[in-house]
Amino acid sequence: MSIMEYNGGSVIAMVGKDCVAIASDLRLGNQALGISSNFQKIFPVTDRIYVGLPGLATDVTTLRERFRYRVNMYTIKEEREIEPETFAHLVSSTLYEHRFGPYFIEPVMAGLSKTPSGGLKPFIAATDLIGCLNFAKDFVVAGTASSKLYGVAEGLWEPGLEPEDLFETISQTILNAVDRDAYSGWGCIVHVITKDKVVSRTLKGRMD
Amino acid sequence: MASSSVYSSPGFDFSNQLRNNFLSEKGLPLPKATSTGTTIVGCLFEDGIVLGADTRATEGPIVADKNCEKIHYISESIRCCGAGTAADTEFTTALISSNIELHALHTGRKPRVVTAMTMLKQMLFQYQGHIGAALVLGGVDATGPNLFTIHPHGSTDKLPYVTMGSGSLAAMAVFESSWRPNMSRDEALTLVKHAISAGIFNDLGSGSNVDACIITATHTEMLRNVEMPNQRVEKEKKYGFRRGTTAWKRETVKSLIVEEEITHVLGEAMDTT
Amino acid sequence: MDHIDMQQLKSGEVNLGTSIMAVQFDGGVVIGADSRTTTGSYIANRVTDKLTHVHDRVYCCRSGSAADTQAVADVVHLHLQMYTQTAGAPPSVHAAAAIFQKFCYENKDALSAGIIVAGWDKEVGPSVYNIPLGGGLFRQPWAIGGSGSTYVYGYCDATYQEGWGRDETVNFVKNTLALAMSRDGSSGGVIRMCVITEDGVERLFVPGDKLPKFWEGREVLGAGKTIPIDSGAVPMAVEA
Repeated sequence: MSIMEYNGGSVIAMVGKDCVAIASDLRLGNQALGISSNFQKIFPVTDRIYVGLPGLATDVTTLRERFRYRVNMYTIKEEREIEPETFAHLVSSTLYEHRFGPYFIEPVMAGLSKTPSGGLKPFIAATDLIGCLNFAKDFVVAGTASSKLYGVAEGLWEPGLEPEDLFETISQTILNAVDRDAYSGWGCIVHVITKDKVVSRTLKGRMD
Repeated sequence: MASSSVYSSPGFDFSNQLRNNFLSEKGLPLPKATSTGTTIVGCLFEDGIVLGADTRATEGPIVADKNCEKIHYISESIRCCGAGTAADTEFTTALISSNIELHALHTGRKPRVVTAMTMLKQMLFQYQGHIGAALVLGGVDATGPNLFTIHPHGSTDKLPYVTMGSGSLAAMAVFESSWRPNMSRDEALTLVKHAISAGIFNDLGSGSNVDACIITATHTEMLRNVEMPNQRVEKEKKYGFRRGTTAWKRETVKSLIVEEEITHVLGEAMDTT
Repeated sequence: MDHIDMQQLKSGEVNLGTSIMAVQFDGGVVIGADSRTTTGSYIANRVTDKLTHVHDRVYCCRSGSAADTQAVADVVHLHLQMYTQTAGAPPSVHAAAAIFQKFCYENKDALSAGIIVAGWDKEVGPSVYNIPLGGGLFRQPWAIGGSGSTYVYGYCDATYQEGWGRDETVNFVKNTLALAMSRDGSSGGVIRMCVITEDGVERLFVPGDKLPKFWEGREVLGAGKTIPIDSGAVPMAVEA
């Protein structure tokens, strides 16, 4: 048993047409014992950036506070909102600082970044537990169900999905992947970020 | 929070080690970091260096990234391929790149490849192999073309053609059979493509595309995805779900401000000129 | 991570599983080494130069961990440059060897380095110093080191004589290394040699196909008689 499986949990992020989506399960476990079915692992960073923190639950809380602190310091110093690319590097360097005593978290980030022309461009990224960035153009996954998520997402994802279609794709991906993972599940939450709104939906999933 | 101060000391933070050692003593093994199973190569030719790399990153048996970049920037005419723990290669090359830039500014000269090599080997030696970076460093400077390998413990080799990573044996087989002194630029590029392809197709840790970088005294050319022998074929059918497939229990919509318009209600606006 | 990593790193360490040698003669010293660097069973470098310059007339032969010996040689090189500037004269071979010994002894728990220091100086002429694993310092007329050396101690004891000239000494080094390389799997490639005298340093190179040859055995099967090639046997019929 790995430390990553101690509390369980999985996160996935996907790119769509002028939108991004990020989804997670809601389980908090103590090994095989389920503790909570409403454990949030995805947190807003700014209006248009969300971060998912699957892994050891104690580090979910610690890192959320750490990122909140560092993003606030950035906002005060720079007098502007942080961009997703910048936030990804902030996450990466925070984790690499702990290279020889890591946090057991594999963060997943999703957001919309500003283009020079004033538009918004979808952005997703993930890192491993010591901060190696992975900028993917399609989807990123992490957590105990990551291997299943890779497989399902590889089959279901297609380019240019509209927000509503992206919601269906990411929802079906996580629901079906999580059903085959003992350490993830107990409901899911999906956030779809578009230019004018963020839609968050709690999915109906298996509770076993 | 670990500290209330805004300022934290630079370098690594070991504060989690006590806890993590306790956990691993309880029999919970540490999870795997992303590693670049990797084939990376470098080769000397007539008037420069060609570097090559595959683009697969792995996490145990899983392909974590199908098209990552393993040829890192050190300076305009020095580049470095990385194999081993992905985060380590990424951060060590970024650190040395930064220090090389400062060194160039300090001396007022273009940086040399040996300088980058010495910085890298001294850093890796200091960490006694705990930083798992295996590097191929190449570039052209005032002394001409230079090519080195740097192992995680800090030992270096200077050779006319080099390979590293899990696919190094396959790539070296190509070099040993076909490398000749004073090859032309095109011959060298073809050889490097062959060497990387040997890694991609024969080593499980390497895969996807070929990246190459040609460095000469006057010009550096980064050839990203110069060959893509593993392109996925277009899906024949769509797997899109009909809207409304997924049942959901609760929805919250957060409206975001898209545009702001300021209207002054009372009198004239304050003169701020 | 510690447990897993330590195992991996130890096995991944680059080794100079080496045959190295240094012999003094009347006018100078001859040093020599094979050219093989290995990581496990893989030859990471087949043309390595293990004869490392540390000063104008002082060289060292490196054996053990490649990273450790390179780091030590680099730092000694630095010290000798500082020494030359402050003393206004080149260092003696003993001074150089003493600096090597200082690092090898003080860091004996962290280093795996077996080094032979050899060269020429004004005070005593040619000299050879051996610094084995624990960080001792021994002056010897000849020294051999590395994993290949164990195979050729007897040969050296039986062959070495005082009063040789340059060419005889070069031949002795060449033959000894060739014998060591042929028996030791971790040694091989080419032979690199340096002759260090008052006048300068001369580099000698013996390619892998020009190594001195010794008795290599004969065909065991059919020794003394020839086997008729056409035995009249018919190849087994294989169905298509």
